[in-house]
Amino acid sequence: MIKVGIVGCGKIADAHASQIQRIKGVEIVGVCDREPLMARQLYDRFPVKRYFSTLTDLLGEGNPDVVHVTTPPESHFDIAKLCLEAGRHVYVEKPFTLYADEAHALVKLASKQRLKLTVGHDDQFSHVARRMRKLVQSGYLGGPPVHMESYFCYQFGQSYARALFGDKQHWVRRLPGRLLHNIISHGIARIAEFLKTDSPEVITYGFVSPLLKGVGEIEIIDELRVIISEEEGTTAYFTFSSQMRPSAHQFSMYGPKNGVFLDQDHETLLKLRGEPFKSYLDKFLPSVVFAQQHVANLAVNARSFLARDFQAKAGMCYLIESFYRSIAEDTPVPIPYREILLTATIMDRIFDQLRTQGPRQAMCIRPPDFGTLRPIKGHDPMKV
Amino acid sequence: MGDAELDTSIIGLNDLVLVTGTSGFIGSRLIQCLLEHGFRNLRCFVRPTSDAVGIENIPGHLREGARIGVVRGNLLSREDCSAAMQDVAVVFHLATGRDGKSYPDAFMNAVVTTRNLLEASLQHSCLRRFVSISSFAVYANTHKSHGRLLDESCPVEKHPALRGDPYCFAKVKQDEIVTEYGNRFGIPHVIVRPGYVLGPGKANITSRVGIDTFGVFLHLGGSNTIPFTYVDNCAEAIALAGLRKGVDGEVFNVVDDDLPSSRRFLRLYKKNVRKFTSIYVPHSVSYMLCHCWERYSTWSEGQLPPTYNCKHWHAYWKKTRYSNEKLKTFVGWTPKVSMAEGLRRYFEACRSGAGDD
Repeated sequence: MIKVGIVGCGKIADAHASQIQRIKGVEIVGVCDREPLMARQLYDRFPVKRYFSTLTDLLGEGNPDVVHVTTPPESHFDIAKLCLEAGRHVYVEKPFTLYADEAHALVKLASKQRLKLTVGHDDQFSHVARRMRKLVQSGYLGGPPVHMESYFCYQFGQSYARALFGDKQHWVRRLPGRLLHNIISHGIARIAEFLKTDSPEVITYGFVSPLLKGVGEIEIIDELRVIISEEEGTTAYFTFSSQMRPSAHQFSMYGPKNGVFLDQDHETLLKLRGEPFKSYLDKFLPSVVFAQQHVANLAVNARSFLARDFQAKAGMCYLIESFYRSIAEDTPVPIPYREILLTATIMDRIFDQLRTQGPRQAMCIRPPDFGTLRPIKGHDPMKV
Repeated sequence: MGDAELDTSIIGLNDLVLVTGTSGFIGSRLIQCLLEHGFRNLRCFVRPTSDAVGIENIPGHLREGARIGVVRGNLLSREDCSAAMQDVAVVFHLATGRDGKSYPDAFMNAVVTTRNLLEASLQHSCLRRFVSISSFAVYANTHKSHGRLLDESCPVEKHPALRGDPYCFAKVKQDEIVTEYGNRFGIPHVIVRPGYVLGPGKANITSRVGIDTFGVFLHLGGSNTIPFTYVDNCAEAIALAGLRKGVDGEVFNVVDDDLPSSRRFLRLYKKNVRKFTSIYVPHSVSYMLCHCWERYSTWSEGQLPPTYNCKHWHAYWKKTRYSNEKLKTFVGWTPKVSMAEGLRRYFEACRSGAGDD
C-alpha cells in the first residue's frame, strides 16, 4: 500500500485526489493546507484519512511515502526540498520550480536521498501523447526530428480572469514569467522531450494582447512566440496565445522521412506522409488517407471511452500510476530528469529575455528588436 | 423610516452598515433600499479593480446627506476584512463566487471569506448582527412527497458534496460556519435564503425551468412552481431581516407571492423576449435520466462529471410549494413589486439586452 499526502488544497488538488483514488493499492493518508478550512473541504469530499494545516504535521503524523505538491509555484521548491529531506518521494505540480537552478538542486537532492521525483506534465501521458511517443519510437520519422511546432494556447475563463485581473497581489503576478509561467510548461515539455542538447538556443518575442491592454492590463504578457534550436540541427517553434482561436493545444514533428501531428483537445494523431503520391494522385489520395486516420482516431477514442478510461485527466492518472510503480519497483521515473531540467532551462531563458525586453506594445506592428535578443549561433537574424 | 419603524430596528440611522458585494446584482439594490429606509452611514466593500461600486444608479436625492464609504479589498485577506469591519454595527454579507465549477474556488469565495469577516467582527465588538446571504440551493428536498411545502424547517443537504454542485456545497458550508461562530462566540446572526432572484441585469433562464446544455432547451420544470423573488423585493427582505429586532439566529426564505409555474414562465418568456424551441421532459423521465447519469458517472469513475444526479433532481425539479410566511410574520416584509410587474420589467430588460447584443 502506497501512502500519499497532498500539500495545497486548491483547484488542482481536486484533480490529484480524484485520480489518486482511482489507483488500486493507494491511500491518501493526509491533506494539508495552511488554511485549515481548505484542507478540511478536501478531506470532506474525498476518502482522506486526516487533514493538517502544517507540512510538519502531515509528514510526521500522516507519514506519507509520497507527497504531491499542489501549492502555488513559488512554494514548490521549499516544500519539495523539505519533503525530500524528510525522506519522501515527491510529485510536484507544474511548473516544477521558479528557476532552473532550483530544479537542478531538487534533482540532485532526490538522487542523493535515493528518492523519486516527478513533475505534473500529465499532458505528456494522455492517450494521444502516448500513441505519438510509440509511433516516434518506432522510427516513423525516419531519424531525429528536423523541426517541431508546439501550440499551447489559453482561453481566459471568467472566474480565472476575474481573480487574476481583479487582484494585483495574485500569486500568478509574483511568478518570474507571470501568467506564462503557470501555463506554458506543458507545451515546452513536449519540445524538450525530443531535444538532445541540454542548452538550446532560445529566441523570445512576447507582448500584451490588445484585449488585455484594453482592460488596462500592462503587466501580463499573454502572447508569446519562441524559437528554440540546438546545434545538432533540430529546431522548434513554440506559440502561446490567449487570443487565437481555436485555442489550440497541438504538436507537430517533422523528421527526415515523415511527420506526425497531435491535437490534444481532440485526442487526434495524424501521420504525415513524407513521400508524395504519384502525379495527380497527390491531389486526391491524401484526403482519403486523412479521412481513414480520422476514423481510426474516432475508433480508438470510442474504445477508451467504453473501457472507462477517457476521463479528462486520464493522463494525470497514468502519470501518477507510473510514478508510483517506479517507486514500488525501483524502476526509472516516467519523466526523465533531463527533460524536467531542460524544460526549466528553456523557461528560464524565455522569462529572462522577456524581462530584458519588457512587455511590448501589441498594436505597434514592427519587427522585434534583434539587438536585445541572443541570435542563433552562426546565423544572422536579419537575414530571412 | 418612521419612528415606529425605527423602534423595531436594532440600530440607529447613523450607525455604520457594511455591505459586501455591492457591485453585484442584489448589492446595489440593497444599498438603495437601506438609503430609502433612512440609513445614512453605509460602507460598500468591493474588489480592488471592480469598475462599479453599486451606487452609480442610485438617485441623487437618496444619497443626499448620506455617507457612503467605499472600501476596496479582498475578502480573502484578514487585514482587509478587519479594516472593513471597523465600527460596523450590521454587516450584510452578499459577496460570493457564483460562476465557478470548482469546489475549492466556490468554497474559498464563500466560506473562507465569511470566516474572515466573522473573525474580524470578533476584533471589533460593536457588531449587532451578521447577515449572511445563503440560497435555496442548500435544501435537500428529498424526504418529502411530491408537491409538499418547502420552508425554513426543511433539512439542508447533509452530504452537499454528492450534489455535484460546488455552489450548493459552498453555501451549505457557509451556513454552517455562520451558525458555528454564532453559537461559539455569540455573534448575532441571521441567514437569508433567497429563491431565484430575477430582475433587470440577469438575463438567463433559471435551470429550475430548464437547461440548454445539450444544444436544445429541455423544459424540465413543467407544472412546478418556480421560487422567484424580484430583486427589489429580495433586497427589501434582506434589509429587514438584518435590521429587525428579535430575529437573531433565524433563517428566512425569500420568495414572492403569486409565483408562476415553470410552464407559464416559459410561455411568457417566449412571448415577451424571444422565441426558441423547447422540448418538455416529464418529471419521471428527467428523474430517470438523472438517475442513469449518476450511475454512469460513478461506474465510469468520473468520465462524465456528476452534474446531474438524483439529489440535484430533488432540489431543482421536484414539484414543490414555497412559503414566505415566516418572513412576513417575523420581519413584516411584503413584496413591493408584484410578480406580474417584476416579470414585465425582467422581460423588458431581457429584450433590450438582446437588442444590445
